[in-house]
Amino acid sequence: MENAEIPPISRKLAPYPLVFMRFRPAWAYIDGIREFGRFFCQTTFGTRELADRACVVIQETLENAVKYSSNSADSELELSIESDGSNIEFSVSSLPDASHLSSLREELNGIQTLDPEQAYLAAFIRASNEPEASARLGLARIRYEGGVELSMKEESGGRIRITATGKL
Amino acid sequence: MSQFTVVQVPKAETIAIQVTAPNQVKLSGTITQKDPATDLAGFFKALHTAALADKLTEVRADVSGLTFVNSSAIRLFVDWATWVKNERGHRYTLRFITSRNVTWQKTSFMALMSLAKEVLAIEHVT
Repeated sequence: MENAEIPPISRKLAPYPLVFMRFRPAWAYIDGIREFGRFFCQTTFGTRELADRACVVIQETLENAVKYSSNSADSELELSIESDGSNIEFSVSSLPDASHLSSLREELNGIQTLDPEQAYLAAFIRASNEPEASARLGLARIRYEGGVELSMKEESGGRIRITATGKL
Repeated sequence: MSQFTVVQVPKAETIAIQVTAPNQVKLSGTITQKDPATDLAGFFKALHTAALADKLTEVRADVSGLTFVNSSAIRLFVDWATWVKNERGHRYTLRFITSRNVTWQKTSFMALMSLAKEVLAIEHVT
């Protein structure tokens, strides 16, 4: 699933991201990394609006990655942040449990058939109608509140990369 | 005696919760636990049940001090709005007090309002 409107920045730029982190998939790290992302975006780009968007993207992508990571020794997560001066790109690479892949693919395909606001509202309606099911608001929230488009790439060794690309 | 004001407030690490008479609950801090329902779902349900028992016409949920929450926490507000919406007998207005300065509140309560506008009210503070 590729974003047709904004090509991933990582294809166009020098090989060095602005931020690159590699860490074990532990829930306890998420708050700290999100707040670093807020600080980094606020400091680097000077807008609180972008800092808030970064928080949503980082929180929800890392939550998904941690929740569904396999237990193997090479399941470390990678987070990178890149920019070309017009767009910003957040990328999270993880090694998910194989059973999670098809539902992630389906969820991403589903939300991308609607515009971000409609997809977020549809996710609310689904959550309301299915009180016993898991929330599944996160990806739609990333698109709408984060102001980004999402793509997923399957990489070697069973790893996947979720990329969120939006305007600065 | 008011049922609403005697609802037991859960202890949660990153959230401060205050229930005040006759109909207000105030939450501040952040909610980013893996499963916030463990701490909060039962609490919200107890407030809802108490509001019905007290025949309140309005419950004021002041979330303006909640600076960040994850989508699992947003789900809890969806559930609360759904309980009120689906109530067939006495219903109350669930009024969320939100902050214009907190991004997640602007986007998520707009969506929530679309879901259950007949029972919700959104009030903005700075």
